[in-house]
Amino acid sequence: MPLAELLRLSAESLLAHRARAVLTMLGMIIGVFAVVVLVSLGQGAKNYILSQFTGLGTNLIMVQPGKTDKKSSFQAPIGSAQRKMTIDDVTALEKRAFNLEAVSGVVLGTSSIRYEEALSNTSVFGVNDQFVHILNMQVADGEFFSREEEESGRRVIVLGQNIRKNLFGDDTPIGRSVKLNESEFRVIGVLAAMGNKLGFNLDDVAFIPTTSALRLFNDDKLFGIRAKASSKSGIDDAVLEIADILKERRDGEEDFTVITQVAMMDSMTTILNMLSYVLGGIAAISMLVGGIGIMNIMLVTVSERTQEIGIRRAVGARRGDILQQFLVEAVVLSIIGGLTGIVAALIVTHGAYIFMPDFDMRPPFWILGPAFALSVGVGVIFGVWPARKAANIETLEALRYE
Amino acid sequence: MSSPVVQTEALNRIFVRGDEEIRALDSISLTIEPGEFVAITGSSGSGKSTLMYILGLIDRQTSGSYYLQAKLTDALSDNQRAQLRNQFMGFVFQGFHLLPKATALRNVAMPLVYSASYDRGFSLGAANERARAALERVGMADRMTHRPNELSGGQRQRVAIARALVNSPQVLFADEPTGNLDSKRGQEIFTLFKELNSDGVTIVLVTHDGQLAAQATRQIVMLDGRISSDTGGVNATS
Repeated sequence: MPLAELLRLSAESLLAHRARAVLTMLGMIIGVFAVVVLVSLGQGAKNYILSQFTGLGTNLIMVQPGKTDKKSSFQAPIGSAQRKMTIDDVTALEKRAFNLEAVSGVVLGTSSIRYEEALSNTSVFGVNDQFVHILNMQVADGEFFSREEEESGRRVIVLGQNIRKNLFGDDTPIGRSVKLNESEFRVIGVLAAMGNKLGFNLDDVAFIPTTSALRLFNDDKLFGIRAKASSKSGIDDAVLEIADILKERRDGEEDFTVITQVAMMDSMTTILNMLSYVLGGIAAISMLVGGIGIMNIMLVTVSERTQEIGIRRAVGARRGDILQQFLVEAVVLSIIGGLTGIVAALIVTHGAYIFMPDFDMRPPFWILGPAFALSVGVGVIFGVWPARKAANIETLEALRYE
Repeated sequence: MSSPVVQTEALNRIFVRGDEEIRALDSISLTIEPGEFVAITGSSGSGKSTLMYILGLIDRQTSGSYYLQAKLTDALSDNQRAQLRNQFMGFVFQGFHLLPKATALRNVAMPLVYSASYDRGFSLGAANERARAALERVGMADRMTHRPNELSGGQRQRVAIARALVNSPQVLFADEPTGNLDSKRGQEIFTLFKELNSDGVTIVLVTHDGQLAAQATRQIVMLDGRISSDTGGVNATS
């Protein structure tokens, strides 16, 4: 049968039961809408998170105690460390690594912080004077602690923007004393607002010298080491260099992990892509439901039109012609539903972008092809059985069917 | 002499209902020549409709042979049978069997849509032209855009006949075509069949109306799946 005639028959049949057709399409509309929106959401989240990473600079190298087998693992290994990571390791790297521009140990802790009556809890990073360079931080007011202050373990502190606001309001904090767990620290600087980086809001962090932090938390080991490669191209050499130096200090044992921004971004990308696909997969289940709706209504249509099938067969329609007719009708249903879903998803995501320009969840262009193909596929898969049923009806019985 | 339109040899049709076998046709041997107007009568259950549907390639015999224009049909595929129904024969049913949503013109043009598969030269314009001509032929030229529910029973049956004629069939099968009409309309439809027959179309008509059947050129009476009397052909019994 000519395609134009097939499409015309489908249109007539669908228009004859408008409400039914629309309700059936609704399943597809919701399914395709969900697929496009959720995949876009996943992609948007991925782009958002990756943009957070790139804000840190791509020369960042992280060294964590403990060894993991997977080189690109993002997660810092836990509990498998043989030896502590200490300030001596940092010193060794500073002295011997040519490919590093800056190295700092990191001590991690939380503490109460008090200024006069104002009291809150905060994350405390114990770092050295180089740390500002490693994370590209800007000092807004005062200064970061010097090498000398760091080495002598002075009780000086540099505040993140939010802590400054919470404790001092509009007052200048420089030169004032704050208490961390009852130890007094003198405020010497305030950092410019940085926002969220690496899952930490650095504006909520207070920075003190490494040695002071070790004393404050009564500890002797580092959470990890952060370093910055001299150049982006030298990052691989820097990683090897770090590994060599630290291994030597550990009798050749590699019980630490060196992670670069590149590796981290790779594994993040993998994880976030997984997230997109899982979301899309969940949404695809709703397409399945839409497909079952189409199959259901097509079965009803076939049985309603049994006599028509008999008439068509009697005047010369082959089984294939009948199959085609009902299959095309199912596919037309699913395509119209799918296209409507795609358009709805585009409207909603572009609308959301107007209100949230930071979080861009506009669908990536490539999703439109698969979304359309999926709706065609659903129509074919769920239309075949009813169409085959129609084609297999015996002509004589169909003619006598009332 | 041209070959018979229809020729059967010992045609049997057995329906199985549960454990029971019903012999609807019992060894029917029948020959119908081109241009004949055959009326098949008989009480209900006599097998007359079953015979017509087998001759019309809609049903299949259980055993026996059926030659259509001297060609054996027994081994034809489903698609080949569909093609023969489309190109070679026309059907008229008691219940008209029109598509309720389509206009008279669309109903009549419907078989031509399937002819497109067999005849590459098909075009929709030509199809409509032929449908129009067929409707004119049955006196329905002024009702082309009407839907079946806007037509009387007699008019519907004329549309159905136009549909049967649209592909210029050799033989026209009609199953109780006047069964749903009053006697006046029934006679009009029957007269139309007679006109078509005089134009050369072979007609096989199943009816239980003895008065109408008497106007055909040949009467076959069936009883219990057998031909009990036949006024013509080699099987003449009267």
